[in-house]
Amino acid sequence: MTVTTDIVFLPPGTLRGRGLLGAFSGILQWTFEWLKDNVPPMVTGEIDWSAALRATDNAAAVSELRTVVLGGLRAALSGRGDVDEAHLEDFAQDALVKILAKLGEFQGRSKFTTWAHSIAINVAFTELRRKRWRDVSLDQFIEDGKHFAETVDESALPDVDGERDQLFGVLRKAIAEKLSDKQRAIIAAALEGQPFDQTVDLLGTNRNAAYKLLHDARHALKTALIAEGISEETIRTTFAA
Amino acid sequence: MKPLTKEQLSGLVAMVGATREQEFNCAECGAFAAEFAERQLAGLPLDDALMRVAQHLEVCPECREELLALIAILEAGRAG
Repeated sequence: MTVTTDIVFLPPGTLRGRGLLGAFSGILQWTFEWLKDNVPPMVTGEIDWSAALRATDNAAAVSELRTVVLGGLRAALSGRGDVDEAHLEDFAQDALVKILAKLGEFQGRSKFTTWAHSIAINVAFTELRRKRWRDVSLDQFIEDGKHFAETVDESALPDVDGERDQLFGVLRKAIAEKLSDKQRAIIAAALEGQPFDQTVDLLGTNRNAAYKLLHDARHALKTALIAEGISEETIRTTFAA
Repeated sequence: MKPLTKEQLSGLVAMVGATREQEFNCAECGAFAAEFAERQLAGLPLDDALMRVAQHLEVCPECREELLALIAILEAGRAG
């Protein structure tokens, strides 16, 4: 059996003339400096992930992050019938690419791993929603929205009182008069549960512009309700139950 | 066009009721989602930016779905 012993020479003066406590403190300080100069950034826990991933040799950090991301996706999605291990692996790989591309956007307002999980979840859910896309053209999409909310299922107004009746009447009028075809279509699609990314694609725009279209539509409806004397409180509570 | 269902009508009114002049879009919400989730789990107060995340979550079911999944991951991590 061969035993190899590394002999470490402490810098001169580390121990001399300091007493036992001073010597111990000197050794600690020297050890800290040595570790700082010789050990690469740790990649587990919440040690500097950004630095480890930006390093020239980042293979270990990337591999470790992949394990973390995959574990998160497994925890969040394993109960779903439409997700198997192969999907999880694909999502983790796509998420890693996105995380590395967005490293500069991490501001340290949360743990790095939480930030990475948030990106991985977005990647996974976007892909899962994509599978629910219907085969629909832009013309059909706009047409579907044209007559949106002209009628309401009887069961939607089970105990119609004056307030509910008034609110729905004003809302229906505002939808018909205040919204553009695209605004009606985007609200109808949202209520039908159509994935927002599909709406974005159908409109041939980007996510921010589509969100603004939706926001402007909601805002126009709210303004119309308030102009008719319906309070914010009434809007919030009328159908809340 | 099919008549609006009860759920759709409730969703529409809730969506309109939660509308604010200035809102975060999905990308802005996503940029703060990690911090929002951690503070929610820790029961810490939300600053102005995180209040806007909360408002966005009221009107965006997709971001809400993702935030709940993120919180599930953090909870699983704490439990494990």
